[in-house]
Amino acid sequence: MSTATVRIINSRYWASGTVMALLLMAAFVFSLISQSQFGLSFDDLWLTLSAPDPASLNQQVILSLRLPRSLVACLIGVNLGIAGALMQGLTRNPLASPTLFAINSGAACLMALSSIGLGLFSDLPIELITFIGAFIGGSLVLWLGGGLSSQLNPLRLILAGIAINALFSSFTRAVLIIADDKAYSLLHWLSGSLSEIDWASWSQLWPVSLVAMVLALTTCRGLNLASLGDQSAASLGLNVLNLRLRVCCAILVLTAISVTLAGPIVFVGLIAPHICRRLFNHNHFLVVPLSGLIGACIVSVADLLSRFVVPQAETPVGIITALIGTPIFIYLALKEPAS
Amino acid sequence: MKPYPILLSSLLALLLLLSGVSLLFGAEQISIDNLVATLWQGGDLDFIVNQYRLPRLLIAVLVGIGLAVSGLLTQAVIRNPLASPDLMGISGGAGFAACLLLLVWPQIGSVWLPLAALVGGFSAAAIIWLLNRWHQPSPARLALVGIAISAFFTSCIDFLLVLNPVEVNSAMVWLTGSLWGRNWDYIWPLLPWLLILVPFSLYLAWSLDLLALGDESANALGVNTERLQISALFTAVALASVSVAVCGTIAFVGLLAPHAARLLVGFRHQLLVPVTALIGALLVLSADTLARNLAPPMELPAGVLTATLGAPYFIFLLSRYKGW
Repeated sequence: MSTATVRIINSRYWASGTVMALLLMAAFVFSLISQSQFGLSFDDLWLTLSAPDPASLNQQVILSLRLPRSLVACLIGVNLGIAGALMQGLTRNPLASPTLFAINSGAACLMALSSIGLGLFSDLPIELITFIGAFIGGSLVLWLGGGLSSQLNPLRLILAGIAINALFSSFTRAVLIIADDKAYSLLHWLSGSLSEIDWASWSQLWPVSLVAMVLALTTCRGLNLASLGDQSAASLGLNVLNLRLRVCCAILVLTAISVTLAGPIVFVGLIAPHICRRLFNHNHFLVVPLSGLIGACIVSVADLLSRFVVPQAETPVGIITALIGTPIFIYLALKEPAS
Repeated sequence: MKPYPILLSSLLALLLLLSGVSLLFGAEQISIDNLVATLWQGGDLDFIVNQYRLPRLLIAVLVGIGLAVSGLLTQAVIRNPLASPDLMGISGGAGFAACLLLLVWPQIGSVWLPLAALVGGFSAAAIIWLLNRWHQPSPARLALVGIAISAFFTSCIDFLLVLNPVEVNSAMVWLTGSLWGRNWDYIWPLLPWLLILVPFSLYLAWSLDLLALGDESANALGVNTERLQISALFTAVALASVSVAVCGTIAFVGLLAPHAARLLVGFRHQLLVPVTALIGALLVLSADTLARNLAPPMELPAGVLTATLGAPYFIFLLSRYKGW
C-alpha cells in the first residue's frame, strides 16, 4: 500500500469499520443460536468453546449445522460484495452488479439445466457449469449493452442486463416444469437459500474464494487508475485489457462459486459498494475489501432475519435481500447521474 | 401504407387459422371432421374440445387483446417506447394481489380475482406515479424503476409460493404466466371488463394522436390533455390487471404487440388499436399452442415462450433507442 493510501484511513473510517465488524460479529453469534428447535442459548455456545463435549446434542447442532452455515453466509456475502465493487469499478457504472448483469441468472440457468441432466452438462463438475453460465450471461449483457466502449451508456447496459435476465429466468422456470419431481427444491434454491449448507460446502467454498479475493485485491490499483477514464489510465501506463481480464475473471469466479452453493442471492453486490462509498471513500484499496465486509454483514443479517419471518418454515435468504434491496435500488436509480 | 381493410382481415384470418390449429393439436390429436362434429354436437371428445381447449383458446385471445391494448395506451401516454405494463410493475402488482387472494382464500370464486388484481395493479401504478411526480425521471430511468418494482413484486410472489407450496404448474401461472388449467370459470369474470375497456380505448384513440404532438399543441387543438392522460392510463392499468388476474404476467406481450402494429400501420391510433389487439391475441395464442405441443403431455408456461421472443426484441429496441 502506498503512503497516500495509508493517510486516508482516518479516525472516522476506523469508527465505521469497527461498527460494521461488530454488527457482523453480532449477526454471526445470533445466527449460531437463534430460532432453533433445540432451544440453543448463549450457555451452549460458551460451553462449546470452553468445554467441548461430543455427547451434547446442542453442541453437535452448533458445530455441525449452525457453524458451517454462518461461515458460508459470511463468505458468500464477502464474495458478492467484492464482485459488486469490482463490477462497478470496471464499468464505472453505479448500478452494475452480478444480479443486473445476468451473471447470477446465467449461472442459475445452466445449473438448473444440468440438474435435469441435459446433454453434456451432466458430465461436467457443477462449479465449472455455473462458471460457464456466469460467463455466458455476463458477456451477452456486455456485448448487447454496448460493451466497454468509452461512450458507454450505463442505463442501456442495465436495461440489456434486465432483458437477458428475463430470458434466462424464463428458461430456468421452463426447466422447473420438466424437473417435476425436484421442482420445489429447485424453486427454493433459485430464490437463494442457505438451508442445505454443511462443512462440505465450506471446504468447497473457501479455497476458491481465497484465490479470487487475492486476484481481486491485486486489481485495486488498476481500478483506481481506470476510474480516470480508459485513455488517461492507458497514458499513465496501465494495461487496460489486462486489467479487464483479471477483474472479469475474479468477478466470474466469486459469483459462480456463490451461486453454486446458495443460489442467486440478489442485490447484495449492488448495495454493498454503495454503503461502502458512503461510509468511506472512492479509493478501491478501501472499497474492494470493505464492500466484502459489508456484503458479509448484509447476508448474515438477512440469513438471521430469514429464520424469524416465518418461524419453522425457512424463508430463502435471497427473498429477504430482494425485499430490502429493491427500495434501495430504486433510490439509487433515481439519484445517480445518468452518465 | 398498406390498404388497411386487407391487413385487418388477413390478421383476422390468421387468428382463425391459428385457433383451428390450437383446437386440433395437443396431447390428443383430433381430426377436422371430429372437431367440427364435437363443436356442434359434443360427444366423446366433448371434454377435450369444449371444456378444455375452447375456453383456453378464448382466454388466450382475450388476454392477448387486454395486454396488447394496455401496452399501446401506456406507450402513447408516457411517450416512451420502452413502456409496457409488465416493465412498469403494474402486472407484477396485479399478479401479486391475485396470487395472495388465491392462497389466503382458496375457495373464493374466480369473479373476485380481477378485482383483487385491479387493487394490486393500481397500487403499483400509484407508486410509479408518485415517483414520477417527485423525480421526473427520463424515460429509460422510468423503465429501470418500473423493472425494479416488478422485481419486488416477483420476489413477493416467490415468498408466498415458498410459504404455501402448491402444485408446480399453478406456481408457474403466477411466476411466468401460463394458461394451465384455465376453463370457462375464468372467462366470465374477464369478458365484461374487456367488453367495456377495449371499445373505450378505441374511443380514446381519436385524441391520443393529438397527444403525440405534445401537451401544448394538443391543448390548443381542444384536447383536455390531463383528463385524456388520466383516463388512458386508468384504462391501461385496468386492462393489464384483469388480464393478469386470469393467467399471470405473460411477459413482453404489451411491449411487442404495439411495436409490431406500428411497423404495419404507422402511428394513427384509430388504426393501431384493432391491429395491436389482433397481434396481441396472435402472440398469446401461438405461445400457448406451442407451449402445449412442444413436449406433450408436459406443458411449458406460455410466458417462457413470449419472453424468448420478447427479450431479444427489447434489446433490439434498446440498440435503436436514441433518447438517452
